[in-house]
Amino acid sequence: MNFKRYVVPICAAFALGVAACGGDDDDGGGGATSGDGNGQSGTSAQSDGGPVKIAFSAPGADHGWMAAITENARNEAEELGDVDLEITEGVTDSAAQADQIETLIAGKPDALVVLPNEGDALTPVALKAMEAGIPVVNVDREFAEEGAYRTLITGDNYGIGWQAGNYFADQLKCQGNVVEIQGIAGISVTEQRSQGFRDAIQQRCQSGIKIIASQPADFLPDKGLSVMENILQAHDDIDAVYTHDDDMAEGVVSAIENANRQDEMFLTGAGGSKAAMDRIEQGGLYRATFLYNPSMSASAIRLARLIARGEGLQELAEPEVPSKIQVPATTVTEENVADVKELGF
Amino acid sequence: MSVATAVAPVLEVRGIAKQYPGVRALDGVDFDVRPGEVHCLLGPNGAGKSTLIKCVSGAVALSEGEILVDGEPLPVGEPSASLQRGVATIYQELDLVEDLTVAQSVFLGHEIYRRGLLDRARMRRETVALLERLDHPGISPDAYVRNLRPAQQQIVSIARALSQRVRLLIMDEPSAILDDNEIDTLFGVVRRLTEDGVGVIYISHRLDEIPRIGDRVTVLSDGHTVASGIPADTPPSRLVELMVGRKVEQMFPERPTATGDVVLEVRGLRRGREVRDASFEVRAGEVIGLGGLVGAGRTELLRLIYGLDHPTAGEVLVEGRRLPAGRPAAAIAAGLGFAPEDRKSQGLLLDWSLAKNVTLADLGRFRRRALLRPRAERLAATEQLRQLNTVPDDADRIARQLSGGNQQKVVLARWLLRHCRVLLLDEPTRGVDVGAKAEIYRVITDLAAAGLGVVVVSSELAELAGLCTRVLVMREGRIVAEVDGAAATELNLLHHAVSDTDPAPVQEETP
Amino acid sequence: MTTVPPEAAPSRRSLPFGLSASRIELQEYTLALVVVLLVIVGAVLEPDDFLNSDNMLNVLRQASVVGVLAIGMTFVIATGGIDLSVGSMVAAAAVAGGQVADSGSLAFLLGAIGMGVLLGGVNAGMIAYGRVVPFIATLAMFTMARGIALWLSDKTPVSIFQLEAVRWFGNGEVIGVPSAIIVFVAVTIVAWVLLNRTRYGRHVVAVGGNREAARIAGVKVQRIVFSVYVLSGICVAIAAILVSGRLASASPVIGNLYELDAIAAVVIGGTALSGGRATIVGTFLGVLTFALIFNLLTLMDLPTEIQQITKGVIILAAVLIQRRER
Repeated sequence: MNFKRYVVPICAAFALGVAACGGDDDDGGGGATSGDGNGQSGTSAQSDGGPVKIAFSAPGADHGWMAAITENARNEAEELGDVDLEITEGVTDSAAQADQIETLIAGKPDALVVLPNEGDALTPVALKAMEAGIPVVNVDREFAEEGAYRTLITGDNYGIGWQAGNYFADQLKCQGNVVEIQGIAGISVTEQRSQGFRDAIQQRCQSGIKIIASQPADFLPDKGLSVMENILQAHDDIDAVYTHDDDMAEGVVSAIENANRQDEMFLTGAGGSKAAMDRIEQGGLYRATFLYNPSMSASAIRLARLIARGEGLQELAEPEVPSKIQVPATTVTEENVADVKELGF
Repeated sequence: MSVATAVAPVLEVRGIAKQYPGVRALDGVDFDVRPGEVHCLLGPNGAGKSTLIKCVSGAVALSEGEILVDGEPLPVGEPSASLQRGVATIYQELDLVEDLTVAQSVFLGHEIYRRGLLDRARMRRETVALLERLDHPGISPDAYVRNLRPAQQQIVSIARALSQRVRLLIMDEPSAILDDNEIDTLFGVVRRLTEDGVGVIYISHRLDEIPRIGDRVTVLSDGHTVASGIPADTPPSRLVELMVGRKVEQMFPERPTATGDVVLEVRGLRRGREVRDASFEVRAGEVIGLGGLVGAGRTELLRLIYGLDHPTAGEVLVEGRRLPAGRPAAAIAAGLGFAPEDRKSQGLLLDWSLAKNVTLADLGRFRRRALLRPRAERLAATEQLRQLNTVPDDADRIARQLSGGNQQKVVLARWLLRHCRVLLLDEPTRGVDVGAKAEIYRVITDLAAAGLGVVVVSSELAELAGLCTRVLVMREGRIVAEVDGAAATELNLLHHAVSDTDPAPVQEETP
Repeated sequence: MTTVPPEAAPSRRSLPFGLSASRIELQEYTLALVVVLLVIVGAVLEPDDFLNSDNMLNVLRQASVVGVLAIGMTFVIATGGIDLSVGSMVAAAAVAGGQVADSGSLAFLLGAIGMGVLLGGVNAGMIAYGRVVPFIATLAMFTMARGIALWLSDKTPVSIFQLEAVRWFGNGEVIGVPSAIIVFVAVTIVAWVLLNRTRYGRHVVAVGGNREAARIAGVKVQRIVFSVYVLSGICVAIAAILVSGRLASASPVIGNLYELDAIAAVVIGGTALSGGRATIVGTFLGVLTFALIFNLLTLMDLPTEIQQITKGVIILAAVLIQRRER
């Protein structure tokens, strides 16, 4: 009697059965919510004021900015008090994140807030959530289709580039050599910040400002350091450095200071880290940064709550929450840094 | 022995030559194999036996000459062509995959399909049939190859060859890994094959096997046939003469006798069921043989003494001092040396130079203020290798390039460098040709005469009978007999190795 | 089974100009040639910026961090093992130093060294005594060390701007030569002597060449295996000090993928991944090769894809050359 040959069919049947019955929550306290509408999701479900169940997924928090995103979401949920937040472990792989979101969907939350690792790759699973009646709030990196989200809240990457470009045009009086240090090559954030910058200087200065080097440094300070060291070797006449990220810029700054060339140029970052704001306050090499506030995840939680309750934004005339909100990028320089310091991550 | 019929030969080899850059490995080889014949192939290492086999099996292309199988020329250099014509080879290092089952291994590369999927049931059935034909119904077709004993693995290899139509079976030193019992079984298998008209080329270094299994013999030396197709009952001394090119007077030098104190004492050594209560003594000047069937525990006993495995009870004393168990480094420091059974995978670092291999166990001697001196190493190593007549004695050579006998000398050189007190040798002449064997025997007796104690494990009982001062026979983990060297014969040693009349250890003097 | 007659395959090959070389030396010569070629190509493509002392020192200084890691990695690979965790461990060591940075430079140094040795010791224990396969054990440490770095630092970098001594390591100079380079070269020399001229080094390579044979010859295999991972941990600490000094900050996100760069350098240098054959000179040249490529391509402002493809091609080529020599 060979039992081994039955192992595979039994396991397959078991797996199918479990999947059909629906997965369970990771979150232990998930069953505590009261109320009739609990099994059904939908905008009208919780208008009686009971706790709102929100599921949240963002990529792995290596980087200060991304960590702040998850932190802010968590803190906001706590402050609101009537939000039952379920957060997944951050992963850096799009496929893994898609799996996690599937699990979240199975738990039938009232709303889903997602910052996708890659907007395109996670669009299908977002569509799935929408079709299952779960409203999706899309944070920062946009899904490929509008049908994949109920509301989009995003920073303005293009706007960052645009404002930076204008800042450079003013500071350099439309004449000079600029080095661009990008983040991770190929993602939309990078492309937009680059494009915005280039469009701005083109429009303001035509060919007065030249981009003499443009290299990615993956948002990592040690990479920023090595890349800048090499660029410093290649060019002895740099007027300004445009970096895509404050954390990464720390490395770039070190390279410049080590080579004792900080008086030759100025530098800008992006994101809005506390460290960057401190440097801007001190003055000197680091002149400006552009807010790309991780607070948008907190706003996303608020929006999700409103949507789940079927409410709208009080200040607006319309009864429902808008479908697109773009958080502006604020230029932070010596002049206004004291005001915005508390927003730094 | 089957009677070979006088019909067209299965294999004909005419005027073969093979040229490698700088070396003419084969230089005029002629012989033929008749259907149903067992044709033995003899020759010292380097004579070209393995090159010849590779030519016939298609692994290597000829430079000159032709090979005919069943009268038709064989396309050269194409292994698939040889296989198709029914030429199968069983190599010494078996070509089996350990993680497959017997049935899978037998049909590996030529699986049977049914409607696009593997027909496992049929392959299994045919494997069972083949194993029966080879008189080994006990091997299960679903057993994993790695769990089989070497002798059984060999049978699987043969079954694999038979699973495709075979006209000529080439066996390269099949008896090297077998004990006497298993060799008899193998011979039975070979005879069955010949009854079906299959021709067999049988390569072996063991001269005593030739008349037992062979019909005719071809002797190779230096790449050419010295004698082709002479009868298998030609006296061994004549065969050796043909191989070596001169008269070899005596295989074994003068038998060593004890000259001094006890250098090694083993008391009550035990490890599970592998070694049970082993006790014996070795005096300076003695060569002690450890005989027995495969699995009797001889290698296990040596490993326990040397510290490669941990004993569950018992102790070892070297020159009266107790040896801490389970630590080879301690054994070496106390004066023991160990030449393992498989010199390639356990004895040498094949990609290293000879010098580095020889000095590995005694690097402390070549240090000056914590730094090694490579020149001193090379000099010392060359000296040792020369003393042992190693060819080539160039210490910068890579170990992989040497023949089996010379590789064994490198291992011995390592321990000689250290001036050991006791040498433990596990199958020192396995895979070594006749000429080199005699040299190794001389080395062993010289070492004994110089005051070492030597323990030799061997599966060739005749070897032990000829070489040793005393022979201990093991069976199922126990030392069951001690026979004085002069009185030992292959027969009485074998008797102790197999009979189960006396389970308790016995000291016996045969009249 | 009979073997090919000894004359057929010599251990040394003859080269032009009357030289002869063993297999591993051939790899080293080839790589030296590649380095020279790169320098020539660089001088031609970027005549003003490439071949001046400033840039060359820059290249060497950048090579120092991964270089030190690669030297440690050579020992590990020589035993037939591998260490996938060195990059994350650099972050953990830097962070450990950063946590005690308030007590001064010496504290930082001790903290980094302590963490490096500790984590290296954990690897060593798991592999030598816990019998965990090196790939798996160090893969586990790869994620653990990163986690430790993020956790200890609370995900924020610590500025060590004030620690002059540490910054000197990363950024200082001795008679015009950056101290990082001096450290790298010193580590290389010590490693060379250790590997080639001591009993310890011989034993290390023996373990990789044939573990059982080494054991039979009296080599204390477990101790050797243990030691090489601790050595790797020490190299991690040195690398962490160098990079933190240059960054003037102890950051938990550094060290990304350093291990792959280290392994690649070791492999193209000629050390066999399966163990038993190792060359420090080869590793040094390997590190230099990749640093030169990175430098040249950045000077030329070529996109990173080109750099990555070039690196990959060189690795493949090196492995193929090694294969042919067999």
